[in-house]
Amino acid sequence: MAISGLCLSAFAQKVKFTEYDMDNGLHVILHQDKTAPVVAVSVMYHVGSKDEEEQRTGFAHFFEHLLFEGSDNMKRGDFMKIVSSNGGENNANTSQDRTFYYEVFPSNQLELGLWLESERMLHPKIDEAGVKTQNEVVKEEKRLRIDNSPYGKFTEKIFARLFEGHPYRWQPIGSMAHLDAAKLSEFIAFFKKYYVPNNAVLSIAGDIDVDQTKALVKKYFEEVPKGAPVVRPVYELKPITKEIIDTAYDANIQIPAIFAAYRVPGMKSRDAKVLGMISSLLSGGGSSRLSMKMVDEKKTALQVAAFNYSLEDYGAYITLALPNNNTPLNDLLKDIDAEVTRLQTDLISESELTKLQNQFENSYVSANSKMIGLAENLADGYTFHNKDTNDINEELEKVRSITREEIRDVARKYLNKDQRIVLYYLPKK
Amino acid sequence: MKKIFIFAIATLFVQSVVAQKLDRSQRPKPGPAPVLTFADPVVYKLSNGITVLVVENHKLPKVSATYSIDAGPITEGAKTGVLSLLGGLMNEGTTTKTKIQFDEAVDQLGADVNVSSRGGSASALTRYFDSAFLLMADALRHPSFPESSFEKLKSQSLTGLKSSERSAKAISGRVVNALAYGVNHPSGEFETEQSINSITLNDVKAAYAKYITPSRGYLTFVGDIKPEAAKALAIKALGDWKGTVLTFPVLTKVQNPAKTEVDVVNVPNAVQSEITVTNLIDLPLNSPDYHAVLLANEILGGGADAKLFRNLREKHGFTYGAYSSNGSGRFQALFKANAAVRNEKVDSAVVEFLHEINVMRTEKVSNDDLQNAKNLYNGSFALGLENPARTAGFASNILINNLPKDFYRTYLQKINAVTADDILRVSKKYFGYDNARVVIVGNQDQFVPGLKKRGFVIKTYDKYAAPVTTTVPEAVKN
Repeated sequence: MAISGLCLSAFAQKVKFTEYDMDNGLHVILHQDKTAPVVAVSVMYHVGSKDEEEQRTGFAHFFEHLLFEGSDNMKRGDFMKIVSSNGGENNANTSQDRTFYYEVFPSNQLELGLWLESERMLHPKIDEAGVKTQNEVVKEEKRLRIDNSPYGKFTEKIFARLFEGHPYRWQPIGSMAHLDAAKLSEFIAFFKKYYVPNNAVLSIAGDIDVDQTKALVKKYFEEVPKGAPVVRPVYELKPITKEIIDTAYDANIQIPAIFAAYRVPGMKSRDAKVLGMISSLLSGGGSSRLSMKMVDEKKTALQVAAFNYSLEDYGAYITLALPNNNTPLNDLLKDIDAEVTRLQTDLISESELTKLQNQFENSYVSANSKMIGLAENLADGYTFHNKDTNDINEELEKVRSITREEIRDVARKYLNKDQRIVLYYLPKK
Repeated sequence: MKKIFIFAIATLFVQSVVAQKLDRSQRPKPGPAPVLTFADPVVYKLSNGITVLVVENHKLPKVSATYSIDAGPITEGAKTGVLSLLGGLMNEGTTTKTKIQFDEAVDQLGADVNVSSRGGSASALTRYFDSAFLLMADALRHPSFPESSFEKLKSQSLTGLKSSERSAKAISGRVVNALAYGVNHPSGEFETEQSINSITLNDVKAAYAKYITPSRGYLTFVGDIKPEAAKALAIKALGDWKGTVLTFPVLTKVQNPAKTEVDVVNVPNAVQSEITVTNLIDLPLNSPDYHAVLLANEILGGGADAKLFRNLREKHGFTYGAYSSNGSGRFQALFKANAAVRNEKVDSAVVEFLHEINVMRTEKVSNDDLQNAKNLYNGSFALGLENPARTAGFASNILINNLPKDFYRTYLQKINAVTADDILRVSKKYFGYDNARVVIVGNQDQFVPGLKKRGFVIKTYDKYAAPVTTTVPEAVKN
């Protein structure tokens, strides 16, 4: 069951790990690194906003808050106190696809980390008092991150149109009315359905002894009962065949912005990696095509960006620009479109390809420099790349194998005007 | 045989752990505390005055370097924004490379190279690091200051100012400093349309000649590099660099308000108000109070287990997060407690903020709270060692702040020696209650009446910290 020592080449950044399944279905990943007396303990639950009912949006993220409320053996509010009073840090975050909880401790507190996460998985406190408080807190989070934040609403606007027919059409923060209406029994049911060991990955990285850690994992997680298998619906979206134009108004801004967004394949596809390279080519660094042309030469843009908002089932490829000197938004869009057309017509140069590869390698090396980042990247590989934890070690080779022709062809396939949403994002008077 | 025996014991141990029913109500005890070790960086001085620090760490095939010029706070006055324009312009090409050629050279390496009015940084894969470092040095030493780039950056600055005009958060960031330090202080002044428009290219060139120099410079290498190689590279790139000798500024002390006041800036579009309770403090790193203040702040508002968070978020649900922080260093700094709170709960939140600060100043903290805060600091110190740049930071802090050589080696010892009496004493001294400012930036119609009802006297300011002389309009009252 265990696969260890996947050190296949001389690359300094080759990540070694051990992985196995427990009888209750919990997948465990262990990575040893003794350079600092630190251990990261994390659990990735494969549940996000796309698993929510249409009338109960925001549940997955709400849980991320609720599961800090304590357990059968922890009073309300003690979770964070126990972590910080033992010298650790903790947090959690929720996306459309997964919810990720972690603690980082001095390495002599590994066992405490395992106790905390197993308490959370086995019998967390889900009661009216916790629901009521976290309901207010989540509303404040929405005000802070979205309602009061300049340009905070663009994903909501774009995703609503781009992913019609898919739960990606709503945002992880969800609807406050839905959360207000939810009954305690619904929260408990959500927990029983998704917070089961067979839908989770326990990923531990740092200053550990692997055999001892395996024994401790067994000690704390063995009694967590296996749940029913989680079955996810498969969504087949109708292709977008005509350009959709939309407008958003934001009271927090003075400078408008223009967005164009295209629906693209999900994160495990090779095309998603190609799109990542296209992002670097268009807006990664001062010499990227859009920055050079629009920010430096024509000086029409204050900022330009192109990025792949990559998710499990699909992705949103988004380009955006903020005008400088009152340049009309349509002029900006025209300039971005011209660069996309160029990408679809001409091959990029060999030296541009080398540049993209170097940029990727640089960010790849940095992404695995801290234990918590490494624990998450390993869990990501297992959760989202066909249970291939070793994806972390294959990624660089995959990116290096992308050809100039592939870059052109992917641009041709997905970045077309009749497949996109154009969003005019304007100041609210 | 021996090996097999050891294996059997290990197996027995594992089984005995799982055979007995686990008592989950017993929290596991920590293992023996890990020994914290950190090596001092290699330090040497170049003949032009630059101090070089090298932290060798070969874990990842990457090196980073930062150059920082310890010029202290610089007063820009009517030309506020000139340093930020200077920083921008230093990234717009050198005497031998246009901006496009320069950016192309950096991106081709997949590297990150940036320079600013305070120094610069370069990081790259080991095999490209030398080239990246030389590019940083070129940008520091030979900027070309093209006129067209100057105009571009100026227009971008103006647009940028406009872009944050309605952001309560951005306005609060500006106004809090301006009110606390005064608008003529280097930490209180801010860019305006007028100040940006008044800046000429010659102003930028003059600032370059004055502030970009090897004088008081600290060059730190961290990563996959040998000290000898780093030294050779530093000499090659910066060894013959000459520049102005910097004198460290001396600033006049600023007073806190004689009586606690509530300063309001109206941002009608805001759905949350930014609340900041603040006062100026003097806390050099070698102050005998330093470690006690860190712990006092931790207990009050350092994180999710501190009093402010527990009260304002977990008990009342007023905010997503409430925290406090204390500045420190060679100049006056701010103690701040802040949160973004929904407009209609601002008055209640202000009361809770002041209440928690007052409790810190009048009641001894419990032994548990103090021990927990100490544990957190001990843990954070260990966690920080994951970042190899941390030890370089220790060394340069010791040099810059003129600290004893063992400052970081005895750091935890001093943290652990702080008593509850120390906490009470420093809370009284550093956390303002009678002479603080409560700065609130948000939709005033929704909280000014409530604050008045609670007896607070309100001063109103505009988005640029100028007093608003007209009284609050009738409609807002009660």
